[in-house]
Amino acid sequence: MSFVPGQPVTAVVERVEIQKLRQGENLILGFSIGGGIDQDPGQNPFSEDKSDKGIYVTRISPKGPADLAGLKMGDKIMQVNGWDMTMVTHDQARKKLTKKREDVVRLLVTRKSLEEAVKHSKCSYPKH
Amino acid sequence: MPVDKHANMEEKLWILEDLNMMYIRQIALSLQDSDIQKKIDHEIRMRDGACKLLAACSQKDQALEAAKSLQTCSTRIMAYMSELQRMKEAQVMQKVTRRSSDAGPMGDRLPCKGKVAISDLRIPLMWKDTEYFKNKGELHRCAVFCLLQLGEEIFDTDMVIVDRTLTDICFDNTIVFSEASPGFELRVELYSCCSEDDYSAGSTPRKLASKLSSSLGRSAGKKLRAAMEPGPCSPVSNGGGAPLLLPVPSVPGPKYHLLAHTTLSLSHVQDSFRTHDLIISGNEECSYWLPLYGSMCCRLAAQPHCMTQQMMSGCLKVKQQCGGDPQSWTKVHAVLKGTNLFCYYRQEDVEANVEPAFTIGINKETRIRASEKDPLSKVQNICISNHYGGEEVTHTVTTDSREETHRWMEAFWQHFYDMSQWKQCCDDLMKIELPSPRKPAPITPKQGSLYHEMVIESSDDLSSNVSDILARRMQELELRSQLGTSPTWMSAFEESNARCTGRSRHCTRMSGHSPCTPHRLPRSPVSPHRCPQLGLLSSDASLTSDSDSHCSTSPCSHHHGWPEPTSSYSLLSSSPSRLRPRTLSLDAKLSTLRGRGYGGGGTFQCSCQPPPSSLLAPLPISSRSPRSKHSTQTTLSCSSSTSSNSSSNSEGSHSPESSEGGPFSRPSPARRSLRNLRARLDPRNWLQSQV
Repeated sequence: MSFVPGQPVTAVVERVEIQKLRQGENLILGFSIGGGIDQDPGQNPFSEDKSDKGIYVTRISPKGPADLAGLKMGDKIMQVNGWDMTMVTHDQARKKLTKKREDVVRLLVTRKSLEEAVKHSKCSYPKH
Repeated sequence: MPVDKHANMEEKLWILEDLNMMYIRQIALSLQDSDIQKKIDHEIRMRDGACKLLAACSQKDQALEAAKSLQTCSTRIMAYMSELQRMKEAQVMQKVTRRSSDAGPMGDRLPCKGKVAISDLRIPLMWKDTEYFKNKGELHRCAVFCLLQLGEEIFDTDMVIVDRTLTDICFDNTIVFSEASPGFELRVELYSCCSEDDYSAGSTPRKLASKLSSSLGRSAGKKLRAAMEPGPCSPVSNGGGAPLLLPVPSVPGPKYHLLAHTTLSLSHVQDSFRTHDLIISGNEECSYWLPLYGSMCCRLAAQPHCMTQQMMSGCLKVKQQCGGDPQSWTKVHAVLKGTNLFCYYRQEDVEANVEPAFTIGINKETRIRASEKDPLSKVQNICISNHYGGEEVTHTVTTDSREETHRWMEAFWQHFYDMSQWKQCCDDLMKIELPSPRKPAPITPKQGSLYHEMVIESSDDLSSNVSDILARRMQELELRSQLGTSPTWMSAFEESNARCTGRSRHCTRMSGHSPCTPHRLPRSPVSPHRCPQLGLLSSDASLTSDSDSHCSTSPCSHHHGWPEPTSSYSLLSSSPSRLRPRTLSLDAKLSTLRGRGYGGGGTFQCSCQPPPSSLLAPLPISSRSPRSKHSTQTTLSCSSSTSSNSSSNSEGSHSPESSEGGPFSRPSPARRSLRNLRARLDPRNWLQSQV
């Protein structure tokens, strides 16, 4: 998932739809994010490319809404409800996820295993 | 003498203004249209008020707002005047050509009007890499707002202060124009005004200003000079086109300049966000310059009246579909609205919101024609044909009289014409959210870094200074907690306050940990002696926990070290002199905290499951080593309390002083705490937020 400036980014993504859970006054999703264009990408333990400034899932609360929806730790979030997450600051990302008026977030996430899966499925079919 | 000339000029301007006003009034009188006249008067009054306010106010924010109102009023006045002139011209033209005002049925059919709404305006900025990330140098701030003009209506958005920490200019307002024709042109103009605190334009006398500008550095001087002069980008000469009927009074104070503009029309209307190009005026030399990316995102929606209002209603007779008796007509009350002809059994059903008996679709694909006269009633029938998935379905309707039929046909033709004019807006009803009258959002303090606010004088009572500042910041940010998005380090205060009361642990616990932290020991006995100095020892309390602790080797159950050190500060205010015994392992406390659950969105700094990431960049340790977690606490604990804490599970791997810069260096506790605070808030740390 390396990023070349000026070139479009392509990735194999999975759609994850998370229903927010109401806890008192707050709507929570049950995971934590790290990263952002204003953060130091070298400290991201999940990214393959240490210059990737994307938003990564760093922790999933067990049995939380994100866990039930299938989000995995280490996922890179590409979009949230249509908003791009590949070039946002940490705070912007957090804000897009915690909008009070929305009780569902639809994420597009990517992870290494998805790419592998697609690659394997491609290889297993002999080319004609 | 220059002063006299200036006064003369002003006088001339006033006279000119008076003459113009008389001219305007004459026109309005002759048109017998007092509506515009009233509006112009209202705007002129508003403008005078804004000028007075501008001259009187001292605060920068007030001045900017007043200047914004001034700009809006001036633009509105110009728009009304041009409208007035146009109407006068039209009237004159009509008299000349002697055309009859009502046109033939197919001649001048006018499309229906509609509502146009623009919302969620977002203009991305393109800061240079160095500017944005390094955040060096003084913060160049601009105040910006948008003026939106459609026909006669002019609205302005709220003002936003922009500096290089923002990536986009976002305007949250939704602006609704109520009477727009399909050929509308929505002009969006972005005005900006430099808002430097140092240069208060207009108040410095010219000579001094030029002296200053020449003595300051080149770029600073240029900026100052540009801010002083109106330059080629003055608001007076914007817009072009419209003749200046009423000169804008020159008032000292901030002036807005046109930075970019664009025009949107029906082709840009869509039910989702779209990006449009901006035409940028001005260049880098202007004081009000902002590096715009060159485009603007917004949602432009339109609701033509033919979609939202009842275009025609009346009694119809519909022939039954299921064959059989040709005489069986069903009498219905029909309502033509949007893309449907709703047929209700009774007229009362319409108000009662009962479901219609049946609905006939009237859209672009529908074909309507009048059939031959019914031999019995001598009234033409109307055949409405639709294609429903390949099948052609025809409904035949008729009315009681020829005039009614004619009226219905006319309504259908008008409806089709409207749909052809409004094009994509008639496919589906676009939602327009009316801005609900609600309390304005709590004013969030500007997103500067804490560094800017922390003024640290070197005094002995440094810690209380820091705690004061932090407490103040906490109060300011209490507003934000309403939104559930308090910054992550807020959790420090909330937790520590809950935790730190009523704990007492014995120092003997310390011995249990000594094997793990051999190099801690030398510092441990120091605590009682250090007590009077700063009270930082109370930080110990923060690190107590109520569960059994031991040299825990689990790296997983960690909070980031954030709560710990700051809790020391919050404690200072509460119990500065209480001597806290040594603390337990940090892990224990953290594990109990974790057990508390979510605790609301965004308030926790979550722990990072393996591999953990280091919080403090200054640590010379590789961020990916599992030990780094421990070293984090090590550092923080050591800096927050001179007594060593068993909270560190460093297992002897890292010397805590290394983080302080140089082994064996023991900076004073004050500086250490300060450094710790800075390190915690350092943008180089890798933030995590819980959502």
